[in-house]
Amino acid sequence: MDNQYVIKTTGLSYHFSKGVNTLSDINLQVERGSIYGFLGPNGAGKTTTLRLLLGLLQNQEGSIKIFEKDFLTNRIHILKNTGSLIEQPSLYSHLTAKENLEVYRKIYGVDKSRITKVLQLVDLGGTANKKTKQFSLGMKQRLSIAVALLHKPQLLILDEPTNGLDPNGIIETRELIKRLNKEEGVTIIVSSHILAEIERMASHVGIIHKGKLLFQGPLSELQNMKNKQSFIQIDTSDNDAALSLLSAEYGAESKNGYVVVPYKEKWVTAAINRKLVEQNIDVHLLQPQQNDLEQLFIGITSNNN
Amino acid sequence: MSFIISTQSELLKTKRTASFWLSLAGAALMPTIIFLKLTIDPDNVVKSLAADPWKRVFSIAWQMLVALLLPMYIILISTLIPQIEFKNNTWKQVFASPQTVSNIFFSKFLTIHIMILFCFILFNLLMILSGVLVNLVNPEFTFLQRSIDWEMILRLNLKTYISILGISAIQYWLSLRFKNFVAPVGVGMVLFIGGVIALNFNWEHIYKYPYAFPTLSYGLVNKAGGPFLENHEWNSIGYFLFFMLLGFLDLKFRKEKG
Repeated sequence: MDNQYVIKTTGLSYHFSKGVNTLSDINLQVERGSIYGFLGPNGAGKTTTLRLLLGLLQNQEGSIKIFEKDFLTNRIHILKNTGSLIEQPSLYSHLTAKENLEVYRKIYGVDKSRITKVLQLVDLGGTANKKTKQFSLGMKQRLSIAVALLHKPQLLILDEPTNGLDPNGIIETRELIKRLNKEEGVTIIVSSHILAEIERMASHVGIIHKGKLLFQGPLSELQNMKNKQSFIQIDTSDNDAALSLLSAEYGAESKNGYVVVPYKEKWVTAAINRKLVEQNIDVHLLQPQQNDLEQLFIGITSNNN
Repeated sequence: MSFIISTQSELLKTKRTASFWLSLAGAALMPTIIFLKLTIDPDNVVKSLAADPWKRVFSIAWQMLVALLLPMYIILISTLIPQIEFKNNTWKQVFASPQTVSNIFFSKFLTIHIMILFCFILFNLLMILSGVLVNLVNPEFTFLQRSIDWEMILRLNLKTYISILGISAIQYWLSLRFKNFVAPVGVGMVLFIGGVIALNFNWEHIYKYPYAFPTLSYGLVNKAGGPFLENHEWNSIGYFLFFMLLGFLDLKFRKEKG
């Protein structure tokens, strides 16, 4: 069943300095047609992984297969069908938007009309002849995406494409990513350190932490996991009494001065509230809370151990 | 074919950059000075130039060119063009595009040399133009009556170009090596000044020292007989081949690209 994977790495490891592994044993599996959200905090190894996929870092250990072909021996073929945006925008500030695209147009061997097309696609049609020096960060980011899309790649590698964008820019970029995936069937791997961001667009998720891939699978699987780790935060007039009241039945614990109960379903929340009120305990706060990414990480890491 | 495409892409990147203006300024400086000197203060020179004006002005200009302007220009232009990628943080996009490392390496080098050739050609054209203009301003000069020794000019150009091949390859390698442009320019300047000093001391091994080669070529250009290429010119070609190979392998096997 190998052929369903556009990207498949096996035992990928990398170290910048001897002894300290930046990446260890990364086995990425990016399915054809998916939006793969590559999630992890800063410094987890996201960019290192993506740079390895593009050959910007020399592979030290493990294998990389893209389009079922070994990267080392098929570099040109793979790069011809891959668009990329790594870290900050890579643009020539002294050239106009159009000229920036022209630099790569010939290399990819695509028609001149593609330039107008991709500029419209990223909503920069009106600024084609403006020097990119004068662009805002959001415009630069969009133009970089246009460069990545120039040759209609089958695979897009986007490293934090929404980094530094304003809320509007974030939404636009997200919609663009979804549209490309849906309408043109582009497989996209997009990295981010924001879980909510990935949840809104990805079909699959890989979570990387301290150079290790902790989770990989469909988004729904992650959401199940996340629900399991949600909890209700409770503050009352008498937290000690509330704790002893709820500990047996609902598994309540004390945490940071609050009573914390694992979240199950809506009616359980209501039942807890009723029970507290019946015992004459005043409820000041009763709030279901979903795990944030950090807590999810802790959850996943402790599960792994 | 893909090499030509890579070179076209490299040339486009130099649009509106300092490298074009530097080439223009490098080529125009001496012809402008000569034009001004001969128009403003012609009295003493009209006679001394009368017999062979073209050869005299070319010699004066070329002497300044090889001694100072050209080595500095080569050092700067070899750094400026790779700097375009460093400054804009674009190496990563270049290496993530479907170009072989050899295409990237050699097309950039060719772009530098297209600039250098542009500078050479422009210099010669402006020299001729300045001679003609001087004569139009002041009819006492004999530029319009005397013919130009094309063979001498061609010889001068060709030998000077060969003499800079070594420096150019060394500087190109250095400027790919260092992200900060001060490093290759600084190293180049120190090596160049070292050459100037060594030339003054008539160092016996000077023909092995690439930064002195342009001056050596100029000094020997009128030598009668003997082979076309001098020892140091062969050395320049040797340095060129060695540092091109070194630079290419260095880039090819670099662990972190861009």
